[in-house]
Amino acid sequence: MLRQIELYLDGELVGSLHVEIERHLGGCHPCSGHADFQRKLKEILRSKCGCREVPADLLERVRSLLEHQPDPTA
Amino acid sequence: MARSQVAPPEDPALRERFEREVLPLLPNLYGAALRMTRNPQDAEDLVQETYLRAYRGFAGFQEGTNLRAWVYRILTNTFINSYRKKQREPVTVPDDDTADWYLYDKLGGSNVEASAESEVLEKIPDEDVQRALEDLPDGFRMAVLLADVEGFSYKEIAEILDVPIGTVMSRLHRGRKALQKALWETVRERGLVTD
Repeated sequence: MLRQIELYLDGELVGSLHVEIERHLGGCHPCSGHADFQRKLKEILRSKCGCREVPADLLERVRSLLEHQPDPTA
Repeated sequence: MARSQVAPPEDPALRERFEREVLPLLPNLYGAALRMTRNPQDAEDLVQETYLRAYRGFAGFQEGTNLRAWVYRILTNTFINSYRKKQREPVTVPDDDTADWYLYDKLGGSNVEASAESEVLEKIPDEDVQRALEDLPDGFRMAVLLADVEGFSYKEIAEILDVPIGTVMSRLHRGRKALQKALWETVRERGLVTD
């Protein structure tokens, strides 16, 4: 069941399986506690490991790098 | 050199499209590069190299396929080919016998009030979470990074890493468990819970 919940939280379950897990989480306190925690963990990873500060001139450097390239060939 | 004698025509429309659709990915690409290389200078170099390769290969991008996944695949391959060799040895990932939901169970067994487990996660400093992710071995780190930070589906991750979906699932599962173990150590070291 816990492996199924992992798939469910990753958005990888479709159709009846998705519905089944959703229904189970609605009625099973231990599993819904686990699921809430795992969902939070995913959020924390996203917010704490995502990028917030790109070096100020990086975009300009990439642009100038590409300017010196010929147009991509069709 | 196996090159046709007449060069194919250059296409300004492709350049425009690249600038419109690929350049805006820069913040995410840089963030991912930072987690891969673990240092800002290498991350900048990796991003620039990725853009150069993506640009040169842009004509080969298949219309109707996922552009973002295509760029991340270049990022990942560039990292593996150019940067991985000089990385420090990461920690080992525990075998699959580590209990599932490790951190939650540990927190539940400590003096954390019921339903306060999630709040403990918030208190872990950003650097510690980043470090825990960065310390995972490449294959596991990539899978968790692509799924949980970048939001790719299993199918997309399988394409980016060029592995079967079953491998993606296994790496994600084991990588997350290893990550939870590392975070639990942090939680204890920082005194965020008492045993």
